[in-house]
Amino acid sequence: MRGGVVNGAARLEEQFGARLLDRVEFRGELTYRVASDDWMEVLRFCRDDPELAFDQLDCLLGDHLPERTEAPFDVVAHLVSHTHGHRLRVKTALKEGQNLPTITGLWPSAGFDERETWEMYGIVFAGHPDLRRLLTIEDFEGYPLRKEFPIQGTVGGRIRTDLRGKI
Amino acid sequence: MSEARPTLEELKRRKALSRQRVERSGEVMTVSMGPQHPSMHGVYRAELDLDGEVIVAVRPEIGNLHRGVEKLCEERTYHQIIPITDRLDYLASFVMNHGYCEAVEKLMGVEVPPRGRYIRTLAAELCRIANHIMWLGIHIMDLGTQTFFCICFRDREYILDLLEMLTGARLTHSFGRIGGVAKDLPDGFDRRCRKVIDFLPRRVAEYERIVKHNRIYYKRAKGVGIFTSEDCFAWRVTGPPLRSAGVARDLRRDEPYAAYDEMDFEVAVEYNADVYDRFLVRMKEIRESCKIVRQCLDNLPDGPFVASDAVHALPLKKNVLRDSAAMIQDFYQVFQGPLAPKGEVYRAIEAPKGEMGVYIRSEGGAHPARIHFATPSFYHGQAVPPLVEGEMISDMVAIFASVDVVLGDCDR
Repeated sequence: MRGGVVNGAARLEEQFGARLLDRVEFRGELTYRVASDDWMEVLRFCRDDPELAFDQLDCLLGDHLPERTEAPFDVVAHLVSHTHGHRLRVKTALKEGQNLPTITGLWPSAGFDERETWEMYGIVFAGHPDLRRLLTIEDFEGYPLRKEFPIQGTVGGRIRTDLRGKI
Repeated sequence: MSEARPTLEELKRRKALSRQRVERSGEVMTVSMGPQHPSMHGVYRAELDLDGEVIVAVRPEIGNLHRGVEKLCEERTYHQIIPITDRLDYLASFVMNHGYCEAVEKLMGVEVPPRGRYIRTLAAELCRIANHIMWLGIHIMDLGTQTFFCICFRDREYILDLLEMLTGARLTHSFGRIGGVAKDLPDGFDRRCRKVIDFLPRRVAEYERIVKHNRIYYKRAKGVGIFTSEDCFAWRVTGPPLRSAGVARDLRRDEPYAAYDEMDFEVAVEYNADVYDRFLVRMKEIRESCKIVRQCLDNLPDGPFVASDAVHALPLKKNVLRDSAAMIQDFYQVFQGPLAPKGEVYRAIEAPKGEMGVYIRSEGGAHPARIHFATPSFYHGQAVPPLVEGEMISDMVAIFASVDVVLGDCDR
């Protein structure tokens, strides 16, 4: 089925087995959770395997789940294959301050997404060619999409005018 | 004007040939283009490194229009988010409503009645026509003519009048609702819409007479800004730029939503992957959209236009103003909000500019725990460096306009 559950899912499970930590199927969408150490390898396999052939990264985003205290951050990648027409979601959990290798080498379109995830959540993508703030100004403090960041007011979102001209 | 379809290798060869035609002097000058530059389509800024007239490197800078849409959505109920989605791509705001509503319906399992699906299809195609006409006017204006811009805006006005009649607003429609649309077609809409749809293809023929065989346009657009299908996949460039590279990918056909699976239309494809073919693709798409709108009017089913699902959908507005129970339900739905099941969905639709995806993660409450809009302009704005590096600076405006970036969509 186009746009539905990936046909090559068995191929992925056969290759990685227990290294796929969790498999969720919801509303016809398939999600795999992997360890952050396997992130690069699984995604590379997804791109290069002819049965999976995910040639496009639809989007990459961060997520914050403060109730999951040991590893409160998620990075979610949505893959799409033009050859087979199927989609897949791959997730990994991260601790506060933990790095993730960049996937700009696999899909260059991840560049902006990773910059956005870094500035909004503080997740560092190791090896990213140009990890600067993207949507907010350079001297913005705090990570706006974390749940503890207030939606109104000036706390935590102070703009450091004293740094103007020095950066 | 028929040509043989170039293969991917041929396109790659042409791309390499068209870029870096002159010897480099080695002296690099940095020029800042935008955010106030008239051809930057909003507040996009690019730092260009120039060697003579050749662009060596580009550093795009976005975010001047960032409004924190995703953060705002986390504090609102599912109904309250709809007006925010209008402000993403404000040139086709109904399509943005539509994409969001499709995602919420997938999450909640809401079935849209046939009439609602048809009205959605109709409104989305009207938005697509308005967007493409606007794009054409601005694209041609970037290349140096003023009159044609006015011609395009005159014709866009007819579509905006129709949308105003249908939704009550000209730009930010907020017309989508969870489970359908806000209103039924008004009286007299059918006749007026048919009139516009009948003459628009003639207008498109007129545009083509003015632009397609225009020697100046041909020379500035043909073979400029070649972006092959491989590049498009790598940089997530979708929509008309992808279809101009010979890939017949259109989510309206490939992952049908609304009433597109019942429509008879062709996916517009061209093969040379340059600025000129992106123009041709959009002109074809206007014609196809007119066809779809006509089919919607012809086959419009009877029945409700919004789901009568009291748990998730809003009650009809006319009842809200008369009936206190409906008013309480309306109030409850908007401010307490419908509860979504725990889970996550991703739904992509074909917006006029490319594929627009909406990701929602719900923890079972009345607010989404995380919402993300994967908007086409964001990725098209990112793809500007590989698109223009090696080209001449005067082609920068043509190429940048040809991928169609709207900064409200880009910065979110």
